[in-house]
Amino acid sequence: MAEMWISMGPQHPMTHGLWTLKVKVDGETVVDTEPDLGYIHRGVEKICESRDFTQITTYCDRLCYASANTWSHAYIYAAEDLLGVEVPERAEYIRLVAVEIQRIASHLMWLGAYGPDIGNLSVMVWCLREREMMMDLLQELGGSRMHYNFPRIGGVKRDLPHGFALRARHKLNLFLDRIQEYESLFDESTVFLIRSQGVGYAKPEEMINHGVSGPNIRAAGVNHDIRNSHPYSVYSELDWEPAVERSSIKGADCYDRYRIRVEEMRQSANLVLQALDKIPGGAETYHEPGDPKIIGKAPTRAPEGTSGSHHFEDSRGESMFYIAGGGDGRGKMPYRVSIRSPMFITIPYASKCMIGYKVADIPAIMGSFDPCIGETDR
Amino acid sequence: MADDAQNYSMFSSRLLVDTVGDVTDEALKASRLKDVIGVLAGRLFNWGQRKSLFPLHLGIKCCALEMAAAGASRFDAERFGVFFRSSPRQCDVLLVNGPISKKFADPIVRLWEQMPEPKWCIAMGECAISGGPYFQSYNILEGVDTIIPVDVYIPGCPPRPEALIDGFGKLREKIIRIGAMPSHSRLESEAPVIIGDA
Amino acid sequence: MRIVSEKAQQEAAEKLVSSLNKIDGVESSVDIRTSGTQNRPIVNATVSPDNWRKVAENLKEKHSVDHCSMITGIHWPESEDKKWEVVYHFLRTGIKDPVIEDGLVIPNIVDFTKVKGKNVPLEIQISIKIGETRTPSVPSVQDLWVGADWNEKETWDLVGIDFEGHDGMRRVLNPHESPVGFHPLQKQHKLRYHGFEEMYDDAQGFMRKPVDSSRVK
Repeated sequence: MAEMWISMGPQHPMTHGLWTLKVKVDGETVVDTEPDLGYIHRGVEKICESRDFTQITTYCDRLCYASANTWSHAYIYAAEDLLGVEVPERAEYIRLVAVEIQRIASHLMWLGAYGPDIGNLSVMVWCLREREMMMDLLQELGGSRMHYNFPRIGGVKRDLPHGFALRARHKLNLFLDRIQEYESLFDESTVFLIRSQGVGYAKPEEMINHGVSGPNIRAAGVNHDIRNSHPYSVYSELDWEPAVERSSIKGADCYDRYRIRVEEMRQSANLVLQALDKIPGGAETYHEPGDPKIIGKAPTRAPEGTSGSHHFEDSRGESMFYIAGGGDGRGKMPYRVSIRSPMFITIPYASKCMIGYKVADIPAIMGSFDPCIGETDR
Repeated sequence: MADDAQNYSMFSSRLLVDTVGDVTDEALKASRLKDVIGVLAGRLFNWGQRKSLFPLHLGIKCCALEMAAAGASRFDAERFGVFFRSSPRQCDVLLVNGPISKKFADPIVRLWEQMPEPKWCIAMGECAISGGPYFQSYNILEGVDTIIPVDVYIPGCPPRPEALIDGFGKLREKIIRIGAMPSHSRLESEAPVIIGDA
Repeated sequence: MRIVSEKAQQEAAEKLVSSLNKIDGVESSVDIRTSGTQNRPIVNATVSPDNWRKVAENLKEKHSVDHCSMITGIHWPESEDKKWEVVYHFLRTGIKDPVIEDGLVIPNIVDFTKVKGKNVPLEIQISIKIGETRTPSVPSVQDLWVGADWNEKETWDLVGIDFEGHDGMRRVLNPHESPVGFHPLQKQHKLRYHGFEEMYDDAQGFMRKPVDSSRVK
């Protein structure tokens, strides 16, 4: 039987973004793959060299547009490392609330896109309905539906609005009930179980050598999480454990990766509820923007020779910023901003995972690794 | 020839079919019924085209999530006849919702050329209108209208789903005005519509 | 919530630093990163391109550094002591495959307050400084950590630093038809050339179809 290269081209309903996956098939079996990225390469790293430290936050929101808050916070932590800034504790709690709600929204978007890949179209409208709920909460915090530009160097832009805690608690409790609906829709569906179990095995030691991290590793039975191995923010004060799935002998399959994201959504909801209870000063007090309780003093210049970096647990893996200071002579702009995108490394690995399976398994495997091309192409 | 005649069970010859057609055409032209039918059919087709715009399932960047939200249950776009199709051969509208890089300039022109006439283009979001926050980048075109003629611009970063649905509404009004003309012979005076511009 | 303690990381960092300093030509030290709620000691080493390969193998075999996180290439045309710099960021994660008992997989739950020795998670940053040259080049570590593969491709694509021994070097982010020698993150490239003629000048790699050459924006 002749082998041929098929191009799942840039415009494709199943590739979750704009990239090409060239697949070499022998009949119906995948023999070789080659991903082709770069269709939305915007040169963000070069643009950031001519922007102030505060202006770069808006670019970092747009890196991975499905989970904008996690990326802008990752940049802000790295910039705070570079400039040496002390962040007040209340601001850390508010940041945690924003990041975790964003993680829920990102996983919901993933689930809403993964269902149609498998053939389950109704879960898309259900998940997008919950995502609207989360986006309403984030709109109250940040001001717009996507791309909030929420954190500032030294703290946050604005305090929790009046009544936010009440609405958030109500919505998150409703959400915790609704997660059970999604689980019933997937776990009781024979077609989903057949299509996702036994497909796309991946083992943790191989994954970490390839650079994969985040939920993909935790689905394979290892509790590796940047939030507890390189700790940042106030995760240590709250009572939680990273979600871990028991995988099969051959490794994590697509079903495990689906289950772990559902568990992570539950955990993020619980984290936010705990943080709203434990926030210093109470969730009902409101401080004006610029108050020292929510934003600390920050220098605006970083001289040449300094550098800052920070690893961050993004909803797709481990993201990292490395900023070298000393931009335009006086140091108001960075000299080099280097962005580590977890998906840039996971997509070649996921493409290797597909070899040996059928063509119909390609969207299932690719979707289960949760690609987001905005951060890949920077 | 005898075999062909066997297949035509109703018509005994091609010559008869052609003659009947020509005679009917002359009769309709003489009684001006042809103009009436032409106008009515044109209006019917225009109504059908504008009430069922099929955009292409193309998600370039962040505005694609707002496009997905516009199609979801809260801002339901399907009640306006908007139904996303995956193949460009079956689409009317190319909804460009992100910046066009140099690598993607060629594929998107190919997608545009694969769409059959009549077709329209909506530029959604700042990146498609002018390059957006990346207009200074070495890899991004300054707007999709450098390579594709655009009919409706929807500003915003990203525009709300209501703005996208309004964009489709303004496109429908434009289709009433320009009809179903091929895109390369549209009137120069028919300027593209910008949402939010009163 | 069990997180790793700063003391454990400090001790592990000092141990790694003293072991690295025994290798010729390596200067390493413990840096403290201050972002987040507790200080993170990291290992910061400067290596020359000649003994980078030896140091990399040492890190992988003796110190079980298993994750290559990112490779950054920087062009310093105006600095005195270096003209090009490659910064490697590694993590030691301590991830092991979960144990299989009776055909059932037991998840590997690590208690980070009790980790010792080679299981303490650590962050390692290696910087390689290269002098004045038109073709900067560093030995590749693609066979040790597969995660370095695409990172090296991206560094070459954007900055222009070559990796010797890398199999399958190609453009990943810029278009495949970009002209040879077009590495946008080098400092002599302007961000964008404004102006209609320069925008379509091939030096920037903008290939247009000939039929569109008369189309005006």
